[in-house]
Formats: sequence, C-alpha cells, structure tokens
Amino acid sequence: MTPNYSRRSALKAMSCGFGYMAFAGLAAEAAAKESFQNPLAPKTPHFEPKAKRVIMLCMRGGPSHVDTFDYKPMLAKHAGESPGGVGGLNNQKGRKLMPSPWKFSQHGESGLPISELYPHLSKHADDLCLINGAYTDIPNHPQALVQLHTGQFQFVRPSMGAWTLYGLGSECQDLPGFITIKPPARLGGAQNYGSAFLPAIYQGTRVGSVTDTGIGNLENKNFTGDLQTKQIDLLQSMNRQLAKRHPQNSQIDGVIESYELASRMQSAVPEVMSLEKESAPTLKKYGVNEKATNDFGRQCLLARRLAEAGVRFIELTHEGWDQHSGLKAKLTSNTKATDQPIAALISDLKQRDMLKDTLIIWTGEFGRTPAVKKADGRDHNGTGFSMWMAGGGVKGGLRYGATDEFGITAQVDKFHVHDFHATALHLLGLNHKQLTYRYAGRDFRLTDVYGKVAKKIIA
Amino acid sequence: MLNRPPVCLLLLLLISVPSFADDGTEYFEKYIRPVLVKSCYKCHSKDTKEPKGELQLDTREGTRRGGESGHSVVPGNLDDSMLMEALKYEGLEMPPNKQLPDEVIARFEKWIEMGAPDPRDGEAGIIKRTIDFEKSREFWSFREIQSPNVPIIRESNWAKTDIDRFVAAQLERKGLYPVADASPQVLVRRLHFDLIGLPPTPIETDNFVAAWKKDNDTAIEALVDELLGSPLFGERWGRHWMDVVRYGESTGMERNYTYPEAWRYRDYVIAAFNADKPFNTFIHEQIAGDLLPAESTEQRKQHLIATGVLAFGTKTLNERDREAFLMDIVEDQIDVTTRAFIGLTAGCARCHDHKFDPIPQEEYYSLAGIFRSTNTFYGTGGGNGNRQSGKLLTISDQGVQQISVSGGGNKNSAKNVNGLQRQIKALETRLEKSAQQIARASSAAQKKKLNVAHERSEKQLKSLNSRIRQMEKTASGDTKTVSVKIMGVQDAASVGDTQLRIRGEANERADSIPRGFLTIATLGDPHPINSDSSGRLEYAQWLTSQSNPLTARVAVNRIWQHLFGRGIVSTVNNFGANGSRPTHPQLLDWMATDFVKEGWSFKKTIRNIVLSRVYRLSIAENPEAEKVDQGNLLLWRANHRRLEAEALRDAVLFASGQIDLEPGVMSVVTTIGNGDIGRTINSSRFGSNSTKRSVYLPIVRGAIPEILKLFDFPEPSIMGGQRDVTTVPTQALYMMNSPFVIDQSNHLARRLLAEEELDDYDRVVMAYRLTLSRVPTTQESQHANQFLQDAVASLGGGELSNQDDQKTILAWTGLAQALFASAEFRYIE
Repeated sequence: MTPNYSRRSALKAMSCGFGYMAFAGLAAEAAAKESFQNPLAPKTPHFEPKAKRVIMLCMRGGPSHVDTFDYKPMLAKHAGESPGGVGGLNNQKGRKLMPSPWKFSQHGESGLPISELYPHLSKHADDLCLINGAYTDIPNHPQALVQLHTGQFQFVRPSMGAWTLYGLGSECQDLPGFITIKPPARLGGAQNYGSAFLPAIYQGTRVGSVTDTGIGNLENKNFTGDLQTKQIDLLQSMNRQLAKRHPQNSQIDGVIESYELASRMQSAVPEVMSLEKESAPTLKKYGVNEKATNDFGRQCLLARRLAEAGVRFIELTHEGWDQHSGLKAKLTSNTKATDQPIAALISDLKQRDMLKDTLIIWTGEFGRTPAVKKADGRDHNGTGFSMWMAGGGVKGGLRYGATDEFGITAQVDKFHVHDFHATALHLLGLNHKQLTYRYAGRDFRLTDVYGKVAKKIIA
Repeated sequence: MLNRPPVCLLLLLLISVPSFADDGTEYFEKYIRPVLVKSCYKCHSKDTKEPKGELQLDTREGTRRGGESGHSVVPGNLDDSMLMEALKYEGLEMPPNKQLPDEVIARFEKWIEMGAPDPRDGEAGIIKRTIDFEKSREFWSFREIQSPNVPIIRESNWAKTDIDRFVAAQLERKGLYPVADASPQVLVRRLHFDLIGLPPTPIETDNFVAAWKKDNDTAIEALVDELLGSPLFGERWGRHWMDVVRYGESTGMERNYTYPEAWRYRDYVIAAFNADKPFNTFIHEQIAGDLLPAESTEQRKQHLIATGVLAFGTKTLNERDREAFLMDIVEDQIDVTTRAFIGLTAGCARCHDHKFDPIPQEEYYSLAGIFRSTNTFYGTGGGNGNRQSGKLLTISDQGVQQISVSGGGNKNSAKNVNGLQRQIKALETRLEKSAQQIARASSAAQKKKLNVAHERSEKQLKSLNSRIRQMEKTASGDTKTVSVKIMGVQDAASVGDTQLRIRGEANERADSIPRGFLTIATLGDPHPINSDSSGRLEYAQWLTSQSNPLTARVAVNRIWQHLFGRGIVSTVNNFGANGSRPTHPQLLDWMATDFVKEGWSFKKTIRNIVLSRVYRLSIAENPEAEKVDQGNLLLWRANHRRLEAEALRDAVLFASGQIDLEPGVMSVVTTIGNGDIGRTINSSRFGSNSTKRSVYLPIVRGAIPEILKLFDFPEPSIMGGQRDVTTVPTQALYMMNSPFVIDQSNHLARRLLAEEELDDYDRVVMAYRLTLSRVPTTQESQHANQFLQDAVASLGGGELSNQDDQKTILAWTGLAQALFASAEFRYIE
C-alpha cells in the first residue's frame, strides 16, 4: 500500500525509509510525487475489507461485564464466598463474590445470554459477537482509556481512528474522516483521538464537547451567501494566477482545492449534523426527546447520518460507568440511556443494508470486579472484561472467548487490547503489521510488536 | 521496543516449576528436539555466530529465557510463550521460510502444556551481537568531520561565498545551472521571514530596493546585520529550537498537569539566540547548567532554568510503579539529548541493542546511570490521579533550594483567584444594596445597624482586594518576598551507575553498567566520569568535544533546513543508518568545521548562508533541470516554502497593525497555575486573545491554540525539528470564517481607510504591500476594486464611501481577508 501524503511530507517520510538509496533514490521519489495528492483521498487497503467504516461506542468508566454480557451463573452459587484461586492480577483479598442483581436469558436463534438490562439490544442478539475474554494491562482509567485508543499509555501514539484514516483515507471530502462525539477532556483527552507523529490531518475532529459547539469556523459572521461566493471567487482568481506563475508547484493547487472543499464543507456539515429532516418515527425509535435516551439517542442517530455520508471512523462516548457504589441504580440508568438508541442504530443500519460493512464496537476501558468489598458496587477489573462487535464482517450470534467461572480473568481465546486493534484493522482490510509509519528512525504500528487477529470471529 | 510488556511476573512465579517426568522427556526427544534441531538451530544455537534475536534454543535455559522479544517458552503457559506465537505466525513468523505443519505445532502446544520438559542442561551463553565499532565508523556521520578544500568551479563569477562553490560544484557535475537571482522585493520578504519571522513594512521594502539598486551585496549585508541584531530574531529562532526539544507547558499523557514555570525556559532560549550564545555553551547549560560555575546569582539562575529542558517532557503521573516512572523520565532525557544534539535515536536501545545503529543496550544504560544520578524537578504537586508529584527549585544568594508545590488546590491557583473574584463581586453587590438601604432607612437605629454591616463588608472587600493583588504579584514572581520557581535538575544525593534492565522492564535488573557515553560517537579515548558526580557535566563536555563527530554537523544542518526548507540531511533528528544521506556531504563538513572555528556561533553561520548566492536564487522553474534533479535537491533554485503557523499568525497581526511586539510576560499557564487539565482546569481557558507574537502563546499539551494546530504545529509531546506541510479544508475554513482572521481583516480595513489622502486604487496598492510585500498588477488592482464595488452593492450600499460607513468597512474587510487567505500570503518565495 502506498498511502498518499502531501508532497512535502511524502518526501520526508519516504526519504527516511529509503535513505540508503541516497540522492538518486530521493530524486525519483520526488518525481513520483510531483502532482498534488489529497492526503485524505480514499486509498486501497491491503486486502478486500469486510468493513468500510467504524462506529465505536465507548462506555467510559468500565461497564460491569458480569451484569451485562458475560453470564456467570457460578456467582450466584458461590455468593458471598471469597473468589479463592482465581485471583487474577487484582487484589482479591477481602472480596466476596457478588452475583448479578439482574437476570440473564437467552436471545435469538443463537441463544446468546444477555442481561435484562438490555431489552432492546437483546432483540439483535443474532447480530452481536460477544467478546468475553477481553483484557487490558492496567486497571486504571487513564492508562486503560489511552491504551484502548492508542495501544500504549507510556508514550504518545496515534489513535486508532487516526491510523484508520491514514490507512484508508476518507470517502467523503465534504466532512472530516474521523469524528468523535463528546470525548472526555481528561484521561488522555485529545490523545485519544490525536494523530501524534502521523500528519495532523489524520487526527479526529471533536464534536459537541462542553467547550466546543462542533466543527468550527463554518460561518462567516460578516459575509454570507452570495457575498462570500464573490470573495472566494476573488481569492481563487488570485490563487490561480499564482499557480499559473508556478506551474510546477502543486502545493498551490492544493490550496485552491482546499478552498473548494471548504466551501462544500460549509454547507455539508450543518446539514449532516441537523436531525431536523429525520421523521418523527425515526426520532422516536432512537429515543430522541425522551428524557432518558435523548442524549445518546441523538449521538446514535448522528452516527448513522455520518456513516451514511461516508465518514470513516465515528466514535461516541457515554460517560459514567464507574460504579464503585450505587451499581444497581446507576447501571440501570446507564443501560436505559443507551440500550434503545444502540438497538435503533443497528436496525437502522440493517434497514439501509449498511450493517454488513459498518463495524460497530461496544466497549469500555475495562470491566468490573465480580467480587466486591461493598454491597452495591464493583471495582475495576482489567484481567477480564467484555466488549461486543456487530456488523462489518464479524460473526453474529457468537460468544467468543471466556473468563473463568466467576468472570475475573480472561482464560479462553484471550483478547488483549492489541488483539482488538489487530482484529478491527483486519476487518477494515488492513494488516496491522504492514500499516506502519516511519518516525524517529523506525516503523511504528498501532499494535507495536503485539496483536493477533481473532480469526474465529470473522464471518 | 519502546514498550514495557505487561507485567506477568506473578504468573511466571506460580507456574515455572520445571518438570522432570520421564514420559515428558521422551515426548521431548521424540517430537520436539528433532524439530528444534532441524528448523531452529541454524539461527538459534550457540554454534551460530550471532544467534538471531539473541535467542538460543539449544539449551533448556536459553529456550526458557528467550530472546530480545520475550520469554520463548513459559512452561504450562501457552499465552506467554512467544515460541507459539512465532510458530503459529501470529506475530513473529518462524521458521521464516515455511510454517511448520499444524500437527507439529500442536505437539509444541502439548509439550508446553505438559510443562515443557527439557533435559538439555548447559548454560545458554549470554548472546550479544558484537558491534564492530571500527567498521561502523565507516558510516558517513560517524567519521571525523573533515575540513574539505573548497572546490574550484567553472562559473567562478557566479559564486559569492565558499558555500556557493560547494553547491555549484555539484550542479556543474550534473550539468545544471542555477536560475537567476530573486528580485529585491522577494529577497527582502524572504530575509525578513527567515530571520525574524515577520514581513517587511512597505518602507523597509522601499529602502532595501533603493539600497539594492546601488549595490546588491552591501544592501544585503546591511539588512542581514540589522535583522540578526533585532530582538525579534531570538523569538523566531528560539521557536525552532523549542520544536526540537518538545517544549510544552503541561505533562500531557493520561493526567495532564500544568507546568506553570515552563515559560522561563522559553525566555532563556529566546535570550540565548539573541545573545548568540555559543552553541557549545548552550548545550552545557541545558544538560548541566546546575553544575557550571557562575559569576552571579542571576547567571546561576539562568543556568538552572536551562536545565528545564530535562524537566518539561511528558510525565505519566498516574503510574503506580515509581521505578517505571523514573525510567520513563530517563528515557525522555536520553531521547531528547541524543536526538537534539547528535541526531541519534539512542532511546531505541532501552530494550535491546539498537536495531540499525551501533548502539548496544549497555550504552543506553551507561547514559541512564547519568540521569538516574540526577533528580528532576518538574513541579506538578500532588492531587487526584497524580501519584508522582514533583517539586520545583528556587535560587538565592544562599544557593539552590527545593520547594514543594501543591496540586490542583494551590493557594495561588486561578481557581482561588476566580473564587476570590466571585466573592469580591458578591460583596460589591451587597455594598451597593446596603448603601441604598441605608439611604432609605426609616429610623436612626436601623441606619446604625445597617452602617455597621456596611462597614464590615467594606473591610472584607478591602482585605480580599489586597489578597488578590498579592496573589497576582506572587504568580508573576516579581515580588522580593516570593522565591522564583524553576523547573530543572540537580545531582542526586547519591550518584552511581545503574543496572541494565532486561527488555527495558524497569524492575528486571541485570548487571550494573558503568556510566559513560556512546562509543560510536567518540573518536579517540573514552571520556572518564568523575565518580562523585552524576556525569552530566562530562556528558555535556563529551557532546561538544572535538572527538564527537555529530554535534556540529547536526547543528548546522538544522540551520540550513530553516533557510532552504530542507536539511542537507533531510532527517534532521536522525543521522543514523535509517536517516537519509547528505545531499552535500562536503559542504556539511565544511560548514560544521567553520561553525566550531567561529565559536559555535549560530548568527555567524546564518549570516554566511544568507549572504551566499544560492540563498539569493529565485524560485523560477526550469523543466529541463527538473528532469535531472526533480525536487531541487541540488539547489539550482530556491524552494517555495510555506510559512510556519507562528509566522502566518504573526504576519496577519503585523499587517493588520495589531501586533504587540513587546515580549510576552510569563504564560497564560502561569496565571492559571497548577492543576489537572480537563479536571480542575477547563482546557478552554488556555484560549487567548493575545496579540503578542505566537511564540508566547501557551503550549499546553492537548490544548494547542487552534491556528497553530491547523497549520502543522508539531505535537509537543514528541520531538520535532521538521514540520509537516499539509493543506486541508479546515485551514481554508479557518481563513474564511474564523473570528481571528475576520477581526484582523477588519483592523486592516480600518487601517487602510484611515489613510484619508489615498484613493481606493492607492489603498488597494497599500493592502497588497502590507500583506504580500508587492504592488498589485493592473489586472489585480481592477479585480480588487471591482470586488469592493460589488460588495458594497451587495450589502445594500451605494458607493464606497468614507471610513465611518459600515458597508464600506465590510467591503474592505472582505478584500483584506482574501489577501490573508491567499496562497501567496502563506508562501515565501
């Protein structure tokens, strides 16, 4: 694969890689890159992709897996007992196993066990691939969240969305290729959607956080409509004159193109962000304007609209899954806020025949301890937790991997965060070992030297 | 390789009990040994000259210990046995030529599950790739810097300086000719941007053009000397340096705590460039300023501030493991000092020998010992999620002291300032109300009662006001009673060597490694380190000694890059095997030699370069030359270069007349104080309406000012030195719609309209001169005037009129903005 860069960065990146070719080699590369290429233009993946885009649903705080998607009947049998030998890496001293306060039942033809907290989502059981053997390195929010997004927490590295955009480019030039809605400002903040050493164009665009109303600079407070058109005509005529004087400088063509794209973005972005044209039944389906589901319902509906418009990587965040106490009340309200919107997103994508090439990922940064110290709270569990995927070439109705009998430690088909990254890239048609970028004298990958593709979950 | 593998020691201890079951041995002999012998020993046994990946599979010990990638066999644990991953082609792919049959792999799995019985006694020798340093020194950058003879060229009249002769010699060899010189209008703009990062004023342009007509060389010399003497020079070139050393005002990472004192280093750098501090001294101060002799407390303070470069790197404050945290700081310090000063990626040798360059892992730990003998003072205080709080330093005539910093709840933090301001506001409202009540009071008794309350409030207000003034004074650090807080380093109380860490894991210690430097970058005898000191001073001296072949080359190459848009070695931070090769090796050496000879002077080297003929070339294109040397690597013309984000912003402010050229005082971060960004400090607070030069904007990791971020400002968590140039629609949207550009366009419009004696045609000329340093063509002038009339008409006005007419101002704003947004504005010829 030859990812495209702007000419200068192409020169830079390639001259690092082919330094030994010395002067003649460099000149040849420069020749190959003479014409301006939009660095965000779609690129050919390494192999036929199953998924064309990603919608990642980040449940920030660490959702309790044994109360949602990892059914552990043994917890009830051994309620109140010490977990004993299955301690995992967590300090299990003084902890007592706590059964899930919620009932699990089997759903769909596949009979996947899902907690009663998800009445809507469980209707789509046959589309879900539950991954019960996920694990991460450090059960602390900051490290785990950053690792989930960038693979590493010790160093600043590009985020998964940035790597995806770098590898595949964007199918829609009127909108940013990587959009993250309401990402947390702390716990790594912008690192979680940053591009680190990749060119800045691959970083995620943050929408709707507390401090930001969305994609900025879409409107000129002085000049609108016709008048701005006149102004841009004047500007572009100046640019074209300059290009004419320097016919070999493709950077100027790039500037001209950027104004054309920007003019289109000005109208495309507000249109895609507005839910006004959605029908009343659709809004209802997502729970928009219902108190509990309004916020995440809007996020999910927006995600569908962005996916339809061709955005490559979309991430939504739902905060507040860190239930050290008040588990019953808070987990109930979290799942209520998200269950219906997520179910609506799946069914909407299915209806549009888009689920097959849209990879939906539901995950937190880790799970929660099956054995507790407080009656109504669970603590951080990094050695085993659950995520699920749907669409985008994963097998539906599958329960992949397993934790021990109590849900503490991943044991079967263990799925490290690196494996998650390798698998997601694989579904997008990218080989995680080949998707590299040369920086500081070596080739970097999202998965560093790790990562195994979980082939068993691929349809 | 920069990663610490997950901690799995606990598991290992639980299960790595060797099994000696007889049947297991039989299994091994039958199924495992033959495969190892046949498929693995060739590259992984003691008989191999250099076992690959430091892995030796011909003894039990070697098989279990594994190689540089990890433990190859962990008995009973398939997941942690790298061997299985390799056999299954799931990461490493071994044997490399063909995967073993499935049933063979299954037998290996079974064998490991059985506990990997293995009768093969015998030690696995410590396998080391031996580096032949003599042979490695044949690589160009490790050779001694030569002082090559200046070549003789055919077109001797063309050359102005020796630099030209080196460039021309290579052009002539390829049959290329340099294009014509640029016009004086282009040159004055190029020199202004390159040396001080701002455009020339129309008067400066006129003066230069007039002088040029008299005598080109004298005119250029006079301008260059003037610009090099300007305090604006340090702001421009200091920022280049800040890219290299990843200057940032917060910890970045998972907990993003502010560094309210980082700005002192920024000011130190700007002053150093303005004073043309010799680069070797500059290096000594940054690495070992605290150990240098000083003539005054002020000088000692500056020396200490210089060591801030070792302190303001990113920090993983949430790290539980103190040792891991400290070793990460050490890596940051090794990385920044080796890449910045000698262009080697020594940080790569933390976990294993460097893959490409002759840097053994031991030598990484030789350097690590120096920095482990050093305490780093970064001053983030404590606080939620910050498990690794740090102190700051202060200095007085009595010497250097450590001072504690409180975390997000610092008394001087802006949170408290804000709280106080709220209280003050509430009190003022109350006073206003009570004054009204007093005025309306119906009885004297009531009045008296109200008066007492009123006076009490007044007293409170007075005290709050004085407290807030005190706080502001404290924050600005200019009261005598408050000590100056400094980020920096000190030698630790106990200094000494540190141990090599296996695979870079902080807690897996091997042998102690004597402190020292990189063999490959030492020509001649090794430099000894005084056993009583950390070795930083010796490190700094080693970097700048005659025997170091890299430092001067790396430095002049950086200068060259900023003046031509591309380094002679294009990978400015990597002069190793994976870096690119110099396009002009002789010129590089000649300049490096000259640089040292001239006292490591940046200004002299810059002066030499910009007075050359090659720097004067125009950007004229030549399709024929392009065929021979596409990309202009040999410099037969000038490169069309895009302005950096800072220069772009500064140029907008300069043309609009709004720029405040007074140096910035502290940083927005200083006034906000200590805290965790995103938790106790909302990142929107770093937004700034400042009209000072961009170098003074706050560089908070994860919250870079919008215009800088959009125009490829380097990620401040990692070392820069070579900026990307990307062109994307979000930049266009910024130029079209951002409040900053619109406001500045409005200022420029008013500035133009204020010239009452000018007519609209002349105003257009002035607009062009202020923004593009040239007059418009007739056609451009017509287009601009047409636009103005159309705009006024569209806005519902009649004709362009005077400066008080809103529609006229808007029309001119639109024109000014188009000029700012144009490609020409952001490129220098």
